[in-house]
Amino acid sequence: MDSFAIFKVSASALEAQKGRMNTIASNMANINSTQTESGGPYRRKDVVFSTTSIDSKDPVPLQGVKVESVTESQEPLKKVYDPGHPDANKEGFVSLPNINIMEEMVNMMMASRAYEANVTTFNMSKNMFLKALELGRV
Amino acid sequence: MDKGFQILEQIIQTTTLRHKLLASNIANVDTPGYKAKDLPFNTVLKDQVMGLSRTDANHLAGSPVQAGVGDVKDEERAPWEDGNNVSLDTELSRMTENALLYEAGTTLLSKKIQMYKNALKR
Repeated sequence: MDSFAIFKVSASALEAQKGRMNTIASNMANINSTQTESGGPYRRKDVVFSTTSIDSKDPVPLQGVKVESVTESQEPLKKVYDPGHPDANKEGFVSLPNINIMEEMVNMMMASRAYEANVTTFNMSKNMFLKALELGRV
Repeated sequence: MDKGFQILEQIIQTTTLRHKLLASNIANVDTPGYKAKDLPFNTVLKDQVMGLSRTDANHLAGSPVQAGVGDVKDEERAPWEDGNNVSLDTELSRMTENALLYEAGTTLLSKKIQMYKNALKR
């Protein structure tokens, strides 16, 4: 049983939430990107989390979290009439990424809250350990 | 030695266990399908304290009840659409409460040790 496994749980969550923040940042940055390496306009990306066992020998079900996969949204792209755009089709419509800025903002706030909560957890665990070290000290 | 040490040890052990569970819950606040876990702390502790009152020799001695992995229960809160039922605020408030109890336990244990030290001085 690893006493310090609890810190790994919080650390895994911090890492996962940071990964989520990264995808949100690239979504925001590419809100108008009509060309990508794989061809076609940029599509909204999202992360999928899954639990991961931190210490399999520990009898307590300690479960951290990891980014299982990054998915690409298959929602329809936005169509905007702009005949002068180099990526416009014959009818003059341009396909823009299927990103909704409000949705991204809400996601970002949720990621940030979750990150904060895990920092709080980390600090609380640290204080508990420090308190245990003070036992018996006059 | 009086039973105080034993009880305080139980409190510290149980709060440590519960802290781990709550930390896992908070880490998995956005994991689809995750079910929040908790330890029904009050009943566990009550059994322990009740075990102390033994007024007759014929009474059964209270056996120390230790909260273990077997007492861990899934939370029965209704899940979100992704099957996750962690409520961040509930978990954080529980964690604060739990950490305070832990601190109370360690403080009392320190005081107890201090008392014995004082008694041994002269």
